[in-house]
Amino acid sequence: MNESSDNAAAPESGEVGLVEPHDFVSAEPFTFDCGQSIPGFTLRYETYGRLNDRRDNAILVCHALSGDHHAAGIHSLRDRKTGWWNNIIGPGKALDTTKYFVICTNCLGGCQGSTGPMSTDPTTGRPYGMTFPALTIRDMVRADKRLLDHLGITRLHAAIGGSMGGMRVLQFGIEYPDFVERMLPMATTARENAQAIAFNAVGREAIMQDPEWHGGDYAAGGGPRVGLAIARMMAHITYVSDQSMDRKFGRRKREAADAGPAGQFEVESYLQHQGQSFINRFDANTYLYITRALDHFDLAGTYGSLEKAFEPVKARTLCVAFTSDWLFPSDQNRAFVLALLRSGKSASYAELTTDLGHDSFLLESPALYDLVRSFLAA
Amino acid sequence: MAAIGKLADKRTVEVRVIGDWVEPGSRVLDLGCGRGVLLEYLVQTKKIHAIGVDFDFEKVAACVKRGLTAYQGDLEVFLRGFPDGHFDRVIFSRTLEELAHPAAVINEALRVGRCVTVGFVNHAYWRNRIAAFFHGRKPRNEVYTAAWSEARPTNPLSVADFESFCIQSGLRIRRRALLRGDWKRDCRLLPNLFAGYAVYEIGR
Repeated sequence: MNESSDNAAAPESGEVGLVEPHDFVSAEPFTFDCGQSIPGFTLRYETYGRLNDRRDNAILVCHALSGDHHAAGIHSLRDRKTGWWNNIIGPGKALDTTKYFVICTNCLGGCQGSTGPMSTDPTTGRPYGMTFPALTIRDMVRADKRLLDHLGITRLHAAIGGSMGGMRVLQFGIEYPDFVERMLPMATTARENAQAIAFNAVGREAIMQDPEWHGGDYAAGGGPRVGLAIARMMAHITYVSDQSMDRKFGRRKREAADAGPAGQFEVESYLQHQGQSFINRFDANTYLYITRALDHFDLAGTYGSLEKAFEPVKARTLCVAFTSDWLFPSDQNRAFVLALLRSGKSASYAELTTDLGHDSFLLESPALYDLVRSFLAA
Repeated sequence: MAAIGKLADKRTVEVRVIGDWVEPGSRVLDLGCGRGVLLEYLVQTKKIHAIGVDFDFEKVAACVKRGLTAYQGDLEVFLRGFPDGHFDRVIFSRTLEELAHPAAVINEALRVGRCVTVGFVNHAYWRNRIAAFFHGRKPRNEVYTAAWSEARPTNPLSVADFESFCIQSGLRIRRRALLRGDWKRDCRLLPNLFAGYAVYEIGR
Protein backbone atom coordinates (compact mmCIF):
# COMPACT_ATOMS: atom_id res chain seq x y z
CA MET A 1 0.00 0.00 0.00
CA ASN A 2 2.95 2.32 -0.35
CA GLU A 3 2.56 3.08 -4.03
CA SER A 4 1.00 6.41 -4.71
CA SER A 5 -0.21 8.20 -7.77
CA ASP A 6 -2.24 11.31 -8.28
CA ASN A 7 -4.63 10.28 -11.03
CA ALA A 8 -7.46 9.35 -8.65
CA ALA A 9 -7.66 12.77 -7.02
CA ALA A 10 -9.76 15.67 -8.25
CA PRO A 11 -8.35 17.24 -11.42
CA GLU A 12 -7.53 20.53 -9.75
CA SER A 13 -5.55 18.87 -6.98
CA GLY A 14 -1.82 19.37 -6.72
CA GLU A 15 1.08 17.98 -4.80
CA VAL A 16 2.64 19.02 -1.51
CA GLY A 17 6.02 18.68 -3.23
CA LEU A 18 9.31 19.05 -1.37
CA VAL A 19 9.00 18.97 2.40
CA GLU A 20 11.41 18.74 5.25
CA PRO A 21 11.01 17.28 8.70
CA HIS A 22 11.40 19.35 11.85
CA ASP A 23 12.39 18.40 15.36
CA PHE A 24 10.54 19.64 18.42
CA VAL A 25 12.55 19.28 21.62
CA SER A 26 10.64 19.32 24.87
CA ALA A 27 13.08 19.98 27.73
CA GLU A 28 10.41 19.36 30.36
CA PRO A 29 10.38 15.95 32.05
CA PHE A 30 7.73 13.59 30.77
CA THR A 31 6.03 11.05 33.03
CA PHE A 32 4.56 8.00 31.32
CA ASP A 33 1.30 6.30 32.34
CA CYS A 34 3.44 3.59 33.96
CA GLY A 35 4.87 6.20 36.38
CA GLN A 36 8.42 6.28 34.97
CA SER A 37 9.82 9.53 33.61
CA ILE A 38 12.31 10.72 31.04
CA PRO A 39 14.00 14.13 31.35
CA GLY A 40 12.66 15.34 28.00
CA PHE A 41 11.98 14.14 24.49
CA THR A 42 12.16 14.95 20.80
CA LEU A 43 9.31 14.61 18.33
CA ARG A 44 10.05 14.64 14.63
CA TYR A 45 7.22 16.08 12.58
CA GLU A 46 6.21 17.53 9.24
CA THR A 47 3.63 20.17 8.38
CA TYR A 48 1.83 20.93 5.14
CA GLY A 49 -0.14 24.11 4.48
CA ARG A 50 -0.24 27.22 6.65
CA LEU A 51 -1.64 27.88 10.10
CA ASN A 52 -4.24 30.64 9.77
CA ASP A 53 -4.39 33.79 11.89
CA ARG A 54 -7.01 32.32 14.20
CA ARG A 55 -4.75 29.26 14.63
CA ASP A 56 -7.74 26.94 14.31
CA ASN A 57 -7.29 25.23 10.94
CA ALA A 58 -4.89 22.52 12.10
CA ILE A 59 -5.45 18.86 11.35
CA LEU A 60 -3.41 16.27 13.20
CA VAL A 61 -2.65 13.15 11.17
CA CYS A 62 -1.89 10.13 13.36
CA HIS A 63 0.14 7.34 11.83
CA ALA A 64 -0.26 3.61 12.41
CA LEU A 65 2.17 1.08 13.92
CA SER A 66 4.86 1.22 11.26
CA GLY A 67 4.16 4.71 9.93
CA ASP A 68 6.02 7.92 10.58
CA HIS A 69 5.90 11.71 10.31
CA HIS A 70 6.48 11.70 6.55
CA ALA A 71 2.83 11.64 5.48
CA ALA A 72 3.00 13.62 2.24
CA GLY A 73 5.33 15.05 -0.36
CA ILE A 74 8.93 14.10 -1.02
CA HIS A 75 12.18 14.87 0.78
CA SER A 76 14.28 15.07 -2.35
CA LEU A 77 13.65 15.14 -6.09
CA ARG A 78 15.25 11.72 -6.26
CA ASP A 79 12.67 10.17 -3.92
CA ARG A 80 10.77 7.43 -5.71
CA LYS A 81 8.11 7.28 -3.02
CA THR A 82 5.99 10.01 -1.53
CA GLY A 83 4.84 10.18 2.10
CA TRP A 84 2.51 7.38 3.21
CA TRP A 85 -0.77 9.32 2.89
CA ASN A 86 0.14 11.52 -0.06
CA ASN A 87 -3.07 10.56 -1.87
CA ILE A 88 -5.23 12.37 0.70
CA ILE A 89 -2.99 15.31 1.70
CA GLY A 90 -2.24 18.18 -0.66
CA PRO A 91 -3.63 21.26 -2.40
CA GLY A 92 -7.21 20.48 -3.44
CA LYS A 93 -7.14 16.99 -1.92
CA ALA A 94 -9.42 15.79 0.89
CA LEU A 95 -7.01 17.19 3.50
CA ASP A 96 -6.70 20.37 1.47
CA THR A 97 -3.44 22.11 2.33
CA THR A 98 -4.73 25.36 0.84
CA LYS A 99 -7.31 25.36 3.67
CA TYR A 100 -5.80 23.33 6.47
CA PHE A 101 -2.54 23.20 8.33
CA VAL A 102 -1.75 19.50 8.40
CA ILE A 103 0.64 18.14 11.02
CA CYS A 104 2.04 14.65 11.27
CA THR A 105 4.37 13.56 14.05
CA ASN A 106 6.44 10.46 14.54
CA CYS A 107 4.88 9.17 17.74
CA LEU A 108 6.69 9.06 21.07
CA GLY A 109 8.49 5.72 21.26
CA GLY A 110 9.02 5.73 17.49
CA CYS A 111 12.27 5.22 15.66
CA GLN A 112 12.15 7.76 12.82
CA GLY A 113 13.57 10.69 14.75
CA SER A 114 11.33 10.86 17.80
CA THR A 115 12.52 9.73 21.21
CA GLY A 116 12.19 5.99 21.64
CA PRO A 117 14.11 2.93 22.74
CA MET A 118 16.86 3.67 20.17
CA SER A 119 17.49 7.13 21.64
CA THR A 120 20.29 7.81 24.08
CA ASP A 121 19.33 7.85 27.75
CA PRO A 122 21.02 11.07 29.00
CA THR A 123 21.51 9.56 32.45
CA THR A 124 23.60 6.62 31.15
CA GLY A 125 24.84 7.86 27.80
CA ARG A 126 23.64 4.59 26.25
CA PRO A 127 20.50 3.75 24.24
CA TYR A 128 17.41 3.24 26.39
CA GLY A 129 16.75 -0.20 24.89
CA MET A 130 14.38 -2.09 27.15
CA THR A 131 14.85 0.47 29.95
CA PHE A 132 12.61 2.83 27.98
CA PRO A 133 9.40 3.26 30.02
CA ALA A 134 6.40 1.14 29.05
CA LEU A 135 4.47 3.14 26.46
CA THR A 136 0.74 3.73 26.00
CA ILE A 137 -1.39 5.35 23.31
CA ARG A 138 -2.17 8.06 25.86
CA ASP A 139 1.55 8.76 26.31
CA MET A 140 1.85 9.33 22.55
CA VAL A 141 -1.13 11.68 22.62
CA ARG A 142 0.18 13.69 25.55
CA ALA A 143 3.56 14.08 23.85
CA ASP A 144 1.85 15.24 20.61
CA LYS A 145 -0.13 17.80 22.60
CA ARG A 146 3.10 19.42 23.81
CA LEU A 147 4.13 19.95 20.19
CA LEU A 148 0.73 21.38 19.24
CA ASP A 149 0.91 23.79 22.18
CA HIS A 150 4.42 24.78 21.10
CA LEU A 151 3.14 25.49 17.57
CA GLY A 152 0.53 27.84 19.08
CA ILE A 153 -2.43 25.78 17.94
CA THR A 154 -5.53 26.64 19.96
CA ARG A 155 -7.90 24.02 18.60
CA LEU A 156 -7.60 21.09 16.24
CA HIS A 157 -10.02 21.34 13.35
CA ALA A 158 -9.70 17.56 13.25
CA ALA A 159 -7.63 14.58 14.30
CA ILE A 160 -7.52 11.80 11.74
CA GLY A 161 -5.86 8.40 11.51
CA GLY A 162 -6.29 4.74 10.69
CA SER A 163 -5.53 1.63 12.74
CA MET A 164 -3.31 2.69 15.67
CA GLY A 165 -3.75 6.22 14.34
CA GLY A 166 -7.48 5.84 15.00
CA MET A 167 -6.76 4.85 18.59
CA ARG A 168 -4.67 7.99 18.99
CA VAL A 169 -7.53 10.03 17.53
CA LEU A 170 -10.04 8.61 20.04
CA GLN A 171 -7.64 9.10 22.92
CA PHE A 172 -7.00 12.69 21.83
CA GLY A 173 -10.72 13.47 21.90
CA ILE A 174 -11.06 11.95 25.37
CA GLU A 175 -7.92 13.55 26.83
CA TYR A 176 -8.39 17.04 25.39
CA PRO A 177 -12.13 17.46 24.74
CA ASP A 178 -12.00 21.23 24.34
CA PHE A 179 -9.11 21.01 21.93
CA VAL A 180 -10.55 18.63 19.32
CA GLU A 181 -13.44 19.64 17.08
CA ARG A 182 -13.64 16.55 14.90
CA MET A 183 -12.42 12.99 15.26
CA LEU A 184 -11.93 10.88 12.17
CA PRO A 185 -10.87 7.40 13.28
CA MET A 186 -10.65 4.77 10.54
CA ALA A 187 -10.24 0.99 10.54
CA THR A 188 -9.64 0.95 14.27
CA THR A 189 -10.93 -0.32 17.58
CA ALA A 190 -11.45 0.81 21.16
CA ARG A 191 -9.71 -2.40 22.16
CA GLU A 192 -8.19 -5.30 20.29
CA ASN A 193 -9.70 -8.73 20.48
CA ALA A 194 -7.53 -11.73 21.32
CA GLN A 195 -6.79 -12.41 17.65
CA ALA A 196 -5.06 -9.07 17.05
CA ILE A 197 -3.13 -9.42 20.33
CA ALA A 198 -2.15 -12.93 19.28
CA PHE A 199 -0.64 -11.75 16.01
CA ASN A 200 1.34 -9.05 17.80
CA ALA A 201 2.49 -11.61 20.37
CA VAL A 202 3.92 -13.86 17.64
CA GLY A 203 5.70 -10.87 16.11
CA ARG A 204 7.25 -9.98 19.45
CA GLU A 205 8.26 -13.58 20.01
CA ALA A 206 10.03 -13.69 16.62
CA ILE A 207 12.05 -10.63 17.66
CA MET A 208 12.86 -11.74 21.20
CA GLN A 209 13.79 -15.29 20.16
CA ASP A 210 16.31 -13.94 17.67
CA PRO A 211 19.72 -14.45 19.38
CA GLU A 212 20.77 -11.02 18.11
CA TRP A 213 18.14 -9.32 20.25
CA HIS A 214 20.27 -9.61 23.45
CA GLY A 215 17.49 -8.47 25.74
CA GLY A 216 17.08 -5.34 23.63
CA ASP A 217 20.72 -4.34 24.06
CA TYR A 218 22.13 -4.16 20.54
CA ALA A 219 24.07 -1.67 18.45
CA ALA A 220 22.37 0.63 15.97
CA GLY A 221 22.01 -1.08 12.59
CA GLY A 222 22.37 -4.54 14.16
CA GLY A 223 19.98 -6.39 16.39
CA PRO A 224 17.34 -9.02 15.65
CA ARG A 225 17.04 -8.36 11.92
CA VAL A 226 15.73 -11.84 11.14
CA GLY A 227 13.17 -11.72 13.91
CA LEU A 228 11.97 -8.26 12.95
CA ALA A 229 11.67 -9.26 9.28
CA ILE A 230 9.57 -12.30 10.21
CA ALA A 231 7.38 -10.17 12.49
CA ARG A 232 6.78 -7.77 9.62
CA MET A 233 6.10 -10.53 7.08
CA MET A 234 3.45 -12.02 9.29
CA ALA A 235 1.92 -8.68 10.25
CA HIS A 236 1.75 -7.69 6.60
CA ILE A 237 -0.57 -10.63 5.92
CA THR A 238 -2.99 -9.24 8.51
CA TYR A 239 -3.08 -5.87 6.73
CA VAL A 240 -4.37 -7.29 3.44
CA SER A 241 -6.92 -9.92 2.51
CA ASP A 242 -7.26 -13.32 0.89
CA GLN A 243 -8.83 -11.74 -2.18
CA SER A 244 -6.32 -8.95 -2.62
CA MET A 245 -3.36 -11.28 -2.21
CA ASP A 246 -4.83 -13.76 -4.62
CA ARG A 247 -5.39 -11.04 -7.17
CA LYS A 248 -1.87 -9.72 -6.78
CA PHE A 249 0.04 -13.01 -6.64
CA GLY A 250 -2.23 -15.97 -7.15
CA ARG A 251 -0.13 -19.13 -7.24
CA ARG A 252 2.39 -17.63 -9.63
CA LYS A 253 6.01 -18.64 -9.20
CA ARG A 254 9.21 -16.79 -9.76
CA GLU A 255 11.72 -18.18 -12.21
CA ALA A 256 15.05 -17.06 -10.87
CA ALA A 257 18.40 -18.66 -10.18
CA ASP A 258 18.00 -18.28 -6.42
CA ALA A 259 14.44 -19.58 -6.39
CA GLY A 260 15.42 -23.16 -5.55
CA PRO A 261 14.60 -26.39 -7.39
CA ALA A 262 10.82 -26.16 -6.85
CA GLY A 263 10.66 -22.44 -7.62
CA GLN A 264 9.43 -19.79 -5.26
CA PHE A 265 5.92 -18.41 -5.01
CA GLU A 266 5.67 -14.74 -5.84
CA VAL A 267 3.95 -14.11 -2.53
CA GLU A 268 7.00 -15.54 -0.75
CA SER A 269 9.44 -13.21 -2.43
CA TYR A 270 7.04 -10.31 -1.94
CA LEU A 271 6.85 -10.92 1.80
CA GLN A 272 10.63 -11.33 1.98
CA HIS A 273 10.96 -7.99 0.27
CA GLN A 274 8.51 -6.45 2.76
CA GLY A 275 10.54 -7.87 5.65
CA GLN A 276 13.87 -6.73 4.22
CA SER A 277 12.79 -3.17 3.49
CA PHE A 278 11.21 -2.95 6.95
CA ILE A 279 14.38 -3.87 8.85
CA ASN A 280 16.23 -1.09 7.05
CA ARG A 281 13.89 1.55 8.43
CA PHE A 282 12.46 0.20 11.66
CA ASP A 283 13.81 -0.62 15.10
CA ALA A 284 12.96 -3.93 16.74
CA ASN A 285 12.61 -2.50 20.25
CA THR A 286 10.23 0.18 19.01
CA TYR A 287 8.22 -2.62 17.41
CA LEU A 288 7.99 -4.33 20.81
CA TYR A 289 6.99 -1.12 22.61
CA ILE A 290 4.42 0.06 20.10
CA THR A 291 2.73 -3.33 19.67
CA ARG A 292 2.47 -3.48 23.48
CA ALA A 293 0.87 -0.02 23.46
CA LEU A 294 -1.63 -1.25 20.86
CA ASP A 295 -2.45 -4.42 22.78
CA HIS A 296 -2.93 -2.62 26.10
CA PHE A 297 -5.12 0.09 24.60
CA ASP A 298 -8.53 -0.64 26.11
CA LEU A 299 -10.88 2.30 26.54
CA ALA A 300 -13.62 0.26 28.22
CA GLY A 301 -11.16 -1.38 30.60
CA THR A 302 -9.30 1.83 31.45
CA TYR A 303 -12.33 4.02 32.07
CA GLY A 304 -14.83 1.43 33.33
CA SER A 305 -16.94 1.43 30.18
CA LEU A 306 -16.87 2.93 26.70
CA GLU A 307 -19.65 5.31 27.72
CA LYS A 308 -17.59 6.55 30.65
CA ALA A 309 -14.53 6.86 28.42
CA PHE A 310 -16.43 9.03 25.96
CA GLU A 311 -18.24 11.12 28.57
CA PRO A 312 -15.93 14.16 28.24
CA VAL A 313 -15.81 14.07 24.41
CA LYS A 314 -16.99 17.23 22.68
CA ALA A 315 -15.79 16.49 19.16
CA ARG A 316 -18.05 15.34 16.38
CA THR A 317 -16.93 11.96 15.07
CA LEU A 318 -16.94 10.23 11.72
CA CYS A 319 -15.70 6.65 11.80
CA VAL A 320 -14.93 4.91 8.53
CA ALA A 321 -14.55 1.13 8.44
CA PHE A 322 -13.93 -1.32 5.61
CA THR A 323 -15.82 -4.50 4.85
CA SER A 324 -12.70 -6.60 4.23
CA ASP A 325 -10.79 -5.48 7.35
CA TRP A 326 -10.41 -8.64 9.43
CA LEU A 327 -7.76 -7.22 11.78
CA PHE A 328 -10.00 -4.48 13.22
CA PRO A 329 -13.33 -5.65 11.79
CA SER A 330 -16.20 -3.28 11.14
CA ASP A 331 -18.07 -4.62 14.21
CA GLN A 332 -15.32 -3.24 16.45
CA ASN A 333 -15.61 0.15 14.74
CA ARG A 334 -19.40 0.08 15.12
CA ALA A 335 -19.05 -0.78 18.80
CA PHE A 336 -17.35 2.48 19.75
CA VAL A 337 -19.56 4.54 17.44
CA LEU A 338 -22.65 3.13 19.17
CA ALA A 339 -21.09 3.90 22.55
CA LEU A 340 -20.44 7.50 21.47
CA LEU A 341 -24.08 7.75 20.37
CA ARG A 342 -25.31 6.25 23.63
CA SER A 343 -23.25 8.89 25.42
CA GLY A 344 -25.21 11.51 23.50
CA LYS A 345 -22.32 12.48 21.20
CA SER A 346 -22.49 13.14 17.48
CA ALA A 347 -20.89 10.15 15.78
CA SER A 348 -21.38 9.04 12.20
CA TYR A 349 -20.39 5.69 10.82
CA ALA A 350 -19.75 4.76 7.20
CA GLU A 351 -18.47 1.53 5.77
CA LEU A 352 -16.73 1.22 2.43
CA THR A 353 -16.96 -1.98 0.48
CA THR A 354 -13.40 -2.93 -0.43
CA ASP A 355 -11.46 -6.16 -0.73
CA LEU A 356 -8.09 -4.79 0.33
CA GLY A 357 -8.30 -5.64 4.03
CA HIS A 358 -7.13 -3.52 6.97
CA ASP A 359 -4.90 -1.29 4.83
CA SER A 360 -7.98 -0.11 2.90
CA PHE A 361 -7.83 3.19 4.76
CA LEU A 362 -4.84 4.06 2.56
CA LEU A 363 -6.91 3.28 -0.52
CA GLU A 364 -7.23 5.64 -3.44
CA SER A 365 -10.98 6.03 -3.32
CA PRO A 366 -12.90 9.08 -4.54
CA ALA A 367 -15.82 8.00 -2.34
CA LEU A 368 -13.56 8.05 0.73
CA TYR A 369 -12.03 11.40 -0.26
CA ASP A 370 -15.48 12.99 -0.73
CA LEU A 371 -16.67 11.67 2.61
CA VAL A 372 -13.63 12.98 4.49
CA ARG A 373 -13.76 16.30 2.65
CA SER A 374 -17.43 16.89 3.42
CA PHE A 375 -17.06 15.88 7.07
CA LEU A 376 -14.19 18.35 7.48
CA ALA A 377 -16.26 21.10 5.83
CA ALA A 378 -19.54 20.45 7.67
CA MET B 1 -40.24 15.33 -15.53
CA ALA B 2 -43.76 15.98 -14.29
CA ALA B 3 -43.57 12.83 -12.21
CA ILE B 4 -40.29 13.97 -10.64
CA GLY B 5 -41.87 17.34 -9.81
CA LYS B 6 -44.88 15.69 -8.26
CA LEU B 7 -42.64 13.41 -6.22
CA ALA B 8 -40.65 16.40 -4.96
CA ASP B 9 -43.93 18.04 -3.90
CA LYS B 10 -44.91 14.90 -2.08
CA ARG B 11 -41.59 14.71 -0.29
CA THR B 12 -42.07 18.29 0.89
CA VAL B 13 -45.53 17.45 2.22
CA GLU B 14 -44.19 14.34 3.90
CA VAL B 15 -41.44 16.31 5.66
CA ARG B 16 -43.95 18.91 6.90
CA VAL B 17 -46.53 16.40 8.10
CA ILE B 18 -44.01 14.26 9.95
CA GLY B 19 -42.13 17.34 11.18
CA ASP B 20 -45.26 18.89 12.71
CA TRP B 21 -45.36 16.37 15.51
CA VAL B 22 -41.69 16.61 16.45
CA GLU B 23 -41.02 18.50 19.68
CA PRO B 24 -38.30 21.16 19.51
CA GLY B 25 -35.00 20.08 21.01
CA SER B 26 -35.99 16.43 21.20
CA ARG B 27 -33.82 13.42 20.47
CA VAL B 28 -34.97 11.94 17.17
CA LEU B 29 -33.95 8.75 15.38
CA ASP B 30 -34.83 8.46 11.68
CA LEU B 31 -34.69 4.85 10.53
CA GLY B 32 -34.11 4.66 6.79
CA CYS B 33 -33.09 8.30 6.70
CA GLY B 34 -32.04 8.32 3.04
CA ARG B 35 -30.12 11.45 2.11
CA GLY B 36 -31.21 13.24 5.28
CA VAL B 37 -33.82 15.64 3.84
CA LEU B 38 -36.22 15.18 6.76
CA LEU B 39 -33.53 15.37 9.45
CA GLU B 40 -31.93 18.46 7.93
CA TYR B 41 -35.35 20.18 7.97
CA LEU B 42 -35.92 19.14 11.58
CA VAL B 43 -32.47 20.25 12.72
CA GLN B 44 -32.99 23.63 11.07
CA THR B 45 -36.56 24.23 12.22
CA LYS B 46 -36.72 22.41 15.55
CA LYS B 47 -33.10 22.21 16.72
CA ILE B 48 -33.49 18.50 17.36
CA HIS B 49 -30.70 16.08 18.21
CA ALA B 50 -30.84 13.90 15.14
CA ILE B 51 -29.46 10.51 14.21
CA GLY B 52 -30.20 8.88 10.89
CA VAL B 53 -29.68 5.24 10.00
CA ASP B 54 -29.43 3.91 6.48
CA PHE B 55 -28.04 0.80 4.89
CA ASP B 56 -26.51 2.58 1.92
CA PHE B 57 -23.06 4.22 1.88
CA GLU B 58 -24.06 6.93 -0.61
CA LYS B 59 -27.05 7.95 1.52
CA VAL B 60 -24.97 8.14 4.70
CA ALA B 61 -22.30 10.12 2.86
CA ALA B 62 -25.01 12.56 1.71
CA CYS B 63 -26.14 12.97 5.33
CA VAL B 64 -22.56 13.67 6.46
CA LYS B 65 -22.36 16.29 3.72
CA ARG B 66 -25.44 17.97 5.21
CA GLY B 67 -23.70 18.04 8.57
CA LEU B 68 -25.96 15.34 10.01
CA THR B 69 -25.08 12.41 12.23
CA ALA B 70 -25.71 9.22 10.32
CA TYR B 71 -24.98 5.57 10.86
CA GLN B 72 -24.58 3.06 8.06
CA GLY B 73 -25.91 -0.34 8.89
CA ASP B 74 -28.74 -2.66 9.69
CA LEU B 75 -31.40 -0.89 11.72
CA GLU B 76 -32.31 -3.95 13.79
CA VAL B 77 -28.69 -4.24 14.94
CA PHE B 78 -28.60 -0.50 15.58
CA LEU B 79 -31.74 -0.56 17.74
CA ARG B 80 -30.34 -3.38 19.87
CA GLY B 81 -27.43 -1.08 20.78
CA PHE B 82 -29.63 1.36 22.74
CA PRO B 83 -31.25 1.29 26.16
CA ASP B 84 -35.00 1.71 26.75
CA GLY B 85 -36.37 5.19 26.13
CA HIS B 86 -33.11 6.59 24.75
CA PHE B 87 -34.89 8.54 22.01
CA ASP B 88 -37.86 10.87 22.29
CA ARG B 89 -39.11 9.83 18.89
CA VAL B 90 -38.29 7.19 16.31
CA ILE B 91 -39.41 7.88 12.75
CA PHE B 92 -40.07 5.43 9.95
CA SER B 93 -40.65 7.48 6.84
CA ARG B 94 -41.55 5.07 4.05
CA THR B 95 -39.24 2.52 5.67
CA LEU B 96 -41.73 -0.07 6.95
CA GLU B 97 -42.28 -1.33 3.39
CA GLU B 98 -38.58 -2.24 3.20
CA LEU B 99 -38.33 -4.25 6.41
CA ALA B 100 -37.96 -7.98 6.68
CA HIS B 101 -39.50 -8.14 10.19
CA PRO B 102 -41.77 -5.10 10.55
CA ALA B 103 -43.52 -6.14 13.77
CA ALA B 104 -40.27 -6.92 15.57
CA VAL B 105 -38.68 -3.67 14.42
CA ILE B 106 -41.69 -1.58 15.47
CA ASN B 107 -41.56 -3.23 18.90
CA GLU B 108 -37.84 -2.46 19.21
CA ALA B 109 -38.47 1.12 18.11
CA LEU B 110 -41.14 1.45 20.82
CA ARG B 111 -38.62 0.17 23.34
CA VAL B 112 -35.83 2.64 22.50
CA GLY B 113 -38.21 5.51 21.67
CA ARG B 114 -40.93 7.11 23.77
CA CYS B 115 -43.06 7.40 20.66
CA VAL B 116 -42.90 6.26 17.08
CA THR B 117 -43.93 8.02 13.88
CA VAL B 118 -44.77 5.87 10.90
CA GLY B 119 -45.36 7.31 7.45
CA PHE B 120 -46.27 5.09 4.51
CA VAL B 121 -47.88 5.02 1.10
CA ASN B 122 -51.32 3.42 1.29
CA HIS B 123 -51.10 0.49 -1.05
CA ALA B 124 -54.89 0.09 -1.03
CA TYR B 125 -55.39 3.54 -2.60
CA TRP B 126 -58.09 3.23 -5.25
CA ARG B 127 -55.82 3.86 -8.22
CA ASN B 128 -53.54 1.05 -7.09
CA ARG B 129 -56.59 -1.18 -6.83
CA ILE B 130 -57.56 -0.28 -10.37
CA ALA B 131 -54.06 -1.10 -11.59
CA ALA B 132 -54.37 -4.50 -10.00
CA PHE B 133 -58.07 -5.20 -10.67
CA PHE B 134 -58.62 -3.95 -14.21
CA HIS B 135 -55.10 -4.04 -15.64
CA GLY B 136 -53.69 -6.83 -13.53
CA ARG B 137 -50.47 -4.84 -13.24
CA LYS B 138 -48.18 -3.56 -10.51
CA PRO B 139 -49.07 0.13 -10.07
CA ARG B 140 -46.70 2.59 -11.75
CA ASN B 141 -46.78 6.24 -10.74
CA GLU B 142 -44.59 8.85 -9.08
CA VAL B 143 -44.56 6.82 -5.87
CA TYR B 144 -44.13 3.37 -7.40
CA THR B 145 -41.63 4.41 -10.01
CA ALA B 146 -40.02 1.16 -11.06
CA ALA B 147 -41.28 -1.73 -13.12
CA TRP B 148 -41.38 -4.99 -11.15
CA SER B 149 -38.27 -6.17 -12.97
CA GLU B 150 -36.24 -3.23 -11.72
CA ALA B 151 -37.84 -2.78 -8.28
CA ARG B 152 -36.48 -3.85 -4.92
CA PRO B 153 -38.51 -6.41 -3.03
CA THR B 154 -41.00 -4.48 -0.93
CA ASN B 155 -43.68 -5.37 1.52
CA PRO B 156 -46.41 -2.79 0.85
CA LEU B 157 -49.14 -2.14 3.40
CA SER B 158 -52.46 -0.36 3.62
CA VAL B 159 -54.18 1.86 6.16
CA ALA B 160 -56.35 -1.09 7.15
CA ASP B 161 -53.32 -3.40 7.49
CA PHE B 162 -51.56 -0.98 9.79
CA GLU B 163 -54.55 -0.13 11.97
CA SER B 164 -55.46 -3.76 12.50
CA PHE B 165 -51.81 -4.48 13.35
CA CYS B 166 -51.96 -1.76 16.01
CA ILE B 167 -55.16 -3.20 17.50
CA GLN B 168 -53.81 -6.74 17.53
CA SER B 169 -50.51 -5.63 19.08
CA GLY B 170 -52.18 -3.44 21.70
CA LEU B 171 -50.54 -0.28 20.34
CA ARG B 172 -52.20 3.05 20.90
CA ILE B 173 -52.67 5.32 17.89
CA ARG B 174 -52.06 8.75 19.36
CA ARG B 175 -52.28 10.79 16.20
CA ARG B 176 -53.12 10.13 12.61
CA ALA B 177 -52.86 12.18 9.40
CA LEU B 178 -54.45 10.79 6.27
CA LEU B 179 -53.96 12.56 2.96
CA ARG B 180 -55.69 12.05 -0.36
CA GLY B 181 -53.96 11.01 -3.55
CA ASP B 182 -52.43 14.46 -4.03
CA TRP B 183 -50.93 14.20 -0.49
CA LYS B 184 -52.37 17.67 0.20
CA ARG B 185 -56.02 17.51 1.10
CA ASP B 186 -57.19 15.67 4.20
CA CYS B 187 -58.85 12.38 3.55
CA ARG B 188 -61.93 11.99 5.74
CA LEU B 189 -63.94 9.46 3.78
CA LEU B 190 -62.98 5.78 3.58
CA PRO B 191 -59.24 6.32 4.07
CA ASN B 192 -58.28 2.77 3.15
CA LEU B 193 -59.71 3.49 -0.29
CA PHE B 194 -59.06 7.19 -0.76
CA ALA B 195 -55.92 7.99 1.26
CA GLY B 196 -52.70 8.10 -0.77
CA TYR B 197 -50.45 8.67 2.21
CA ALA B 198 -50.79 7.99 5.93
CA VAL B 199 -48.84 9.10 8.99
CA TYR B 200 -49.37 7.69 12.46
CA GLU B 201 -47.95 8.40 15.86
CA ILE B 202 -48.10 5.28 17.97
CA GLY B 203 -47.19 4.42 21.52
CA ARG B 204 -47.89 1.77 24.11
